[in-house]
Amino acid sequence: MPVAIRNLHIEYPGQLLFDSLDMDIADNEIVAVETQVLDGATSLLRGIGGFLRDVGGCVNLNGIDLLTCSPAERAVRVGYVYEDQGLVSLYTVYENIVLPLRFHTELGDDEIHERLSEVCASLKLDEELYAVRPHQLNDVQTRLVNIARALIINPELLLIDELEGGMPAEYLNDIMVTLREKQLANPMVIIITTSNEIIMGKADRVFFIKDHNLAPGQR
Amino acid sequence: MSSIPDRQPSLDIIGTIGRKTVEVVSYVLDIIGLISIALRSSRRLRNKERRKIFLDLFVRQLYNTGVRALYVNGMIAVFIGALLMSRLFYYIPKQVLAEQYGYLFVVIIFRELGPLISGIILIARSATAVTSEIGYLRMRREFQVLNGLGINPVFLFLLPVFFAFPVSLLLMFLYFDFICILSAYSVIWLSDPSINFGVFLGNILRQITLNEIAINAVKAILGGMVIGVISIHFGARATESFDDVSEAISNSTTSQLMAFFLINVVLSLLAYTQ
Repeated sequence: MPVAIRNLHIEYPGQLLFDSLDMDIADNEIVAVETQVLDGATSLLRGIGGFLRDVGGCVNLNGIDLLTCSPAERAVRVGYVYEDQGLVSLYTVYENIVLPLRFHTELGDDEIHERLSEVCASLKLDEELYAVRPHQLNDVQTRLVNIARALIINPELLLIDELEGGMPAEYLNDIMVTLREKQLANPMVIIITTSNEIIMGKADRVFFIKDHNLAPGQR
Repeated sequence: MSSIPDRQPSLDIIGTIGRKTVEVVSYVLDIIGLISIALRSSRRLRNKERRKIFLDLFVRQLYNTGVRALYVNGMIAVFIGALLMSRLFYYIPKQVLAEQYGYLFVVIIFRELGPLISGIILIARSATAVTSEIGYLRMRREFQVLNGLGINPVFLFLLPVFFAFPVSLLLMFLYFDFICILSAYSVIWLSDPSINFGVFLGNILRQITLNEIAINAVKAILGGMVIGVISIHFGARATESFDDVSEAISNSTTSQLMAFFLINVVLSLLAYTQ
């Protein structure tokens, strides 16, 4: 399995969130985690991605443990889409999207631009936004830029934190279709936290958080 | 029922002194730690792509800090140069002034006022801006975003400031000194148009020794680095509340002024008290 989560333990001081979480996810699978307010779903995503400190267990992604690998190794394998903000205000939209490629790869400017154009076209992200700063974007545009930045690295694992906020159903549907197409071109596992029916309907498996673990839910 | 014994005021004072000492020591260690982190992070600049990212940010910071300060630095230099020369005219006999103005100019402007005023302008114009920028970035959890992208925030935020501030300060010294010379000459020229600018400038430049240049360079490098690092240090301490940022700016400015004055005084005493 490309993603094997074993004995995952996430705990903040005085608050246990997840304990002994085991899960296997197959290639090109989309897993939705049904979330409610403050139930720890964001921490789960960040824990799986290896972005949190002091997380116990192991998250094996194609042979690499995300909890112990270096930030640079993780950055070219894991894409993360933030629920809100998530962009670097120092940079324009264009610079934000290409930042991981510029920092972690030796690709030339032309190749980077080509990848950006392809990703942005698939997400219908307008070229006019390239020169815009993050504070000038609305919530939906911000999330699209987040997705573009995550996809541009061709991630093996894509973690999306509540895609739906403020996003019309039509957009959501289109994005889910795009993500499926991307999976066919570059195999990747997608884990998405959501409370949206459309997203859950498009997922291969749905889980909900129960007793510090994940329990199978209904699509 | 036993009564609680009164606390001794002397113990309170000792406790306060102890706490303050610990605060100051840990603050100084933080600053030294940040400087060493910046120096260690410089190794990443060996990578071509990262160097490109750094250079973009460095140039942007240098433009905002060093180049755009020309206007305010220049204006103040005009006033100081004119004021200095007019006062010297007033207080010192013309004969003595004709022989000594080069030396006086170097001692007053080049050694002391130039670095001091440029440093204050750097603190007021740019260091406060950097502190607030870092504070807001931290509040918006952008450090977390960068960490998620495998990019150490030190690389994007600390390094450009760490290198651009000293270079900017050096540029500001140069503007200041040069504009002061022009302004001082204008005052002289108004009273005696026969004085040649080349002769005037030559008399000043002859007084500038290699030692003077080295001390000014050290003031710029050390002062700029320390001012930049203090900005980042206080900005990065802002957490979730907007008033953290204003508090950070206030604390940062106070610390920078104290540190910069200290650096100036110590270096001047070391270099010129012989």
